[in-house]
Amino acid sequence: MRHLLLAVAAIMLPATAFAQSCELKIGAMGPMSGGGAQWGLSMKSAAELAAAEVNQQGGVKIDGKTCKVAVVSYDSKYTPDGAAAGANALAGQDIHLIIGPVGSVENAAVKPVAARNGELAWNAAYATNAQEPKYPLMFQVSPPPAIWADLVIKRAMKTFPMKSVAIVVPNDQTGTDVASVDGAAYKANGVAATSEFYQRGTTNFAPIITRVLATHPDAVDTASSAPGDAGVIVKQLRLAGFTGPIGRVGGPGTAEILRVSGGMDVLKDFYWYEAVPTDDPKVQAIDDEYRKLLGHDPVGGTTFWSYLPGARMTMKALQTAGTNDADKVAAVLRTMPVEDPNIGKGYWTGKKYFGIQQTLFFPFGIGIIKDGKNLGVERQEAQPE
Amino acid sequence: MAEFSQAAIIGVSLGAQYALLALGFTLIFGILGVVNFAHGGFYMLGGYVAYSCVAYAGLPYPLAVLVAVIATGALGWIFELYLLERMVDDHLATLMLTLGLYLVMSTGLLTIFGPLSMEFAFPVKGAMHLGPIYVPRENLIVLAICLTTIAALWLVLYRTDLGRGLRALADDRAIAMAQGLRPKLLFPLAFAIATALAGLTGALVTPILSLSPGVGDPVLATSFLTVILGGLGSLEGAALAAFVVGVVEAFSSVYFGGSIGALVLFVLVLLLLVFRPTGLLGRTVRGA
Repeated sequence: MRHLLLAVAAIMLPATAFAQSCELKIGAMGPMSGGGAQWGLSMKSAAELAAAEVNQQGGVKIDGKTCKVAVVSYDSKYTPDGAAAGANALAGQDIHLIIGPVGSVENAAVKPVAARNGELAWNAAYATNAQEPKYPLMFQVSPPPAIWADLVIKRAMKTFPMKSVAIVVPNDQTGTDVASVDGAAYKANGVAATSEFYQRGTTNFAPIITRVLATHPDAVDTASSAPGDAGVIVKQLRLAGFTGPIGRVGGPGTAEILRVSGGMDVLKDFYWYEAVPTDDPKVQAIDDEYRKLLGHDPVGGTTFWSYLPGARMTMKALQTAGTNDADKVAAVLRTMPVEDPNIGKGYWTGKKYFGIQQTLFFPFGIGIIKDGKNLGVERQEAQPE
Repeated sequence: MAEFSQAAIIGVSLGAQYALLALGFTLIFGILGVVNFAHGGFYMLGGYVAYSCVAYAGLPYPLAVLVAVIATGALGWIFELYLLERMVDDHLATLMLTLGLYLVMSTGLLTIFGPLSMEFAFPVKGAMHLGPIYVPRENLIVLAICLTTIAALWLVLYRTDLGRGLRALADDRAIAMAQGLRPKLLFPLAFAIATALAGLTGALVTPILSLSPGVGDPVLATSFLTVILGGLGSLEGAALAAFVVGVVEAFSSVYFGGSIGALVLFVLVLLLLVFRPTGLLGRTVRGA
C-alpha cells in the first residue's frame, strides 16, 4: 500500500509542478536605450502593470490551464532592424502578443514580420500608414494627429492668435508625415505653415533656429520631435530672441521639455497635446497602482498612461479567447467596448483615416501655458467616427 | 548678411567643441592605435558627474566641471591600465572592449538616472544681441575654455618632455621604447588625458544642450568624422578639421536645411578621402 501511495505521488508531482509553473509570456517592445528610451520603457511599464493586475486576480486561463503572465522586453533602439529583430526574437520564445513598437520606423519594419510570425502588436506610430487593412494583427494605442490636430490648433488659437507657423520635425517618416498632417490642419485654420526638417541625432539646433527665424513665424511647432530635442529647440529659440508661442501638436513630453528648456520662464507661451487628460486624479492614480503591485516607480508619465489601456484590453481579450493565438485574441479585441477604469470611455477609430478600425481613441488633453503660468490640461472627450 | 554672420558664429562655437572631442579621440588613436568607441560615453559621463556634483552635492558649477574632468580622466586611466593595456595591439579586441565600455556606461547611466533628460542649466544665461545677430553668453564662455584647453594641450604635447615622449610613442613605438620610454606609464596617461577632454566637453556642453543617456551617440560619430577629415592620428589635423566641420555644418544647415546640411558634410569627407586619403593634414597613418 505504501508503495502504491508513493507511486501515485510520483505520478502526481510533475503534473502539480507543471500546473504551478505555467507561464504565459507577452512582449514589450520599443526603444529602451538612447533618446527615445522613455517611450519604450513606457511600453514596458504598461505591459508590466497589465500583467501584474491579471496575476493579482490569479492569472489567465489558457488552454484549460491557469497561467501567470510574464513580460519579456526587447530594446528595438528606435530602429527598423532592431524592431524586426525584436519581433522575430519574441516569436522565437512563443510570444504572440506584443505591447509595442513605438515609432513609425519601427512599426513599418514590424508589420510584415509580425504578420508572418502570427504576432499581435500595439504600435504608437504617427505615420500616415501606421495601420493598414492588409495587417489586421496590428493595433494602435492612440490616434495619430490627423484625428485631433485640428482641435488642438483651434484651442491654441483662442489663446495665441497666429497667422504663420514653422513646424520643426525630424526628417524621418514620423517627422515628415506629422509635418504634412499638422501643416494641413494649420492651413485649414487660416495659418500659413512651413516645415523645417532636421536629422535625428542633431544635438545643436542653432543653425535650424537661424533658418526658422529668417521666415519670421508667429509661432513655432515642435510637433513630433523627441521631447529632449524639443527642449533644446525651445531653449535656443528663446536665446535667439523669439517671443512668440511655441506648440507641440505631436507626441507628449511637456515635463521633459520644461526641464531641458530651463523652466516656465523660458517656455513662457506653450500649447500641447496630451494623449490622456493628465490632470485627472484617476489617471494619475495609475502610478499608485503600479507602485502597489510592482514595488517601484513606473517609467513614462503620460506615455505610460496612454499605452496602458491597450495592454489591459489585450489581457482581457486573452482571458476571453482562452488562447494566446494572435488571430483569436485579435478577433475578441475587435468586439470589445473601449473602456478603461482610469482613462474612461473611448471608441475604436481609424476606419476613415487608415481603412481599418483598430485604433484606440480615449479622452485626451490640451495643455496651455500662458505668460509662464500653467493653465492646466483641458479634458477633451473622444468622438466616435 | 545677418544669417551669414550668425552661421559663422555658430560654426566657430561648434568647431571649438568638436576640437576638444576630436583631439582626445585622435590622441588615443595616434598614440595607442586604438579607436575609442567609448569616447561618447566619457562625454556623457562628464555631463552626469558635473550634474550630480551640482544637483546632489551642491558644488558650484566650475568645481563640478573640475570633478568631472578628474573622474573621467581617472576612469580612462584605470580602464587603459587594467583592461585595454592587456590587448592594446589586438584591434578587434580593443574595438570590442571600448564598445563594451560604452554600452556599460550608457546602460549604467540609464539605470541610475532614468531615460529622461536632466534639469541641468548653465549658470550664465542670456545672449548678447547686435541687431539680428545674437551670441549666447554661455557659448562665449565655453569657446574661451575650449580654446584655452586646446592651447594648453598643444603646450603639453609640443613643449614638454611628457609631450615629446607621447609623440615619440606615436611615431614609432619600438624605437621610443628602445630609448627608454615606458608605454605602461604613458599609454594610460594618454588615455586619461583624452577621456578627461571628453569629460570636460560633456560637463561644459550638456548644460547648454541636454543631458540624457543617449547624448553620447552623436558625439562618437562627430569625433570619427572630424579625425578622418583631419587625418587619423594628426593632432593639428583634428583641430583644423573640427573647425571645418563646425563651420560647414553651420553654413550648410543654415542655407540648405537640416537634412541636406548633414549630407553636405558627409559628401565633403567622401570627396576628401577620394582625393586625399590621409586627410587634411594627414601623414602616413601609424603602423600599429
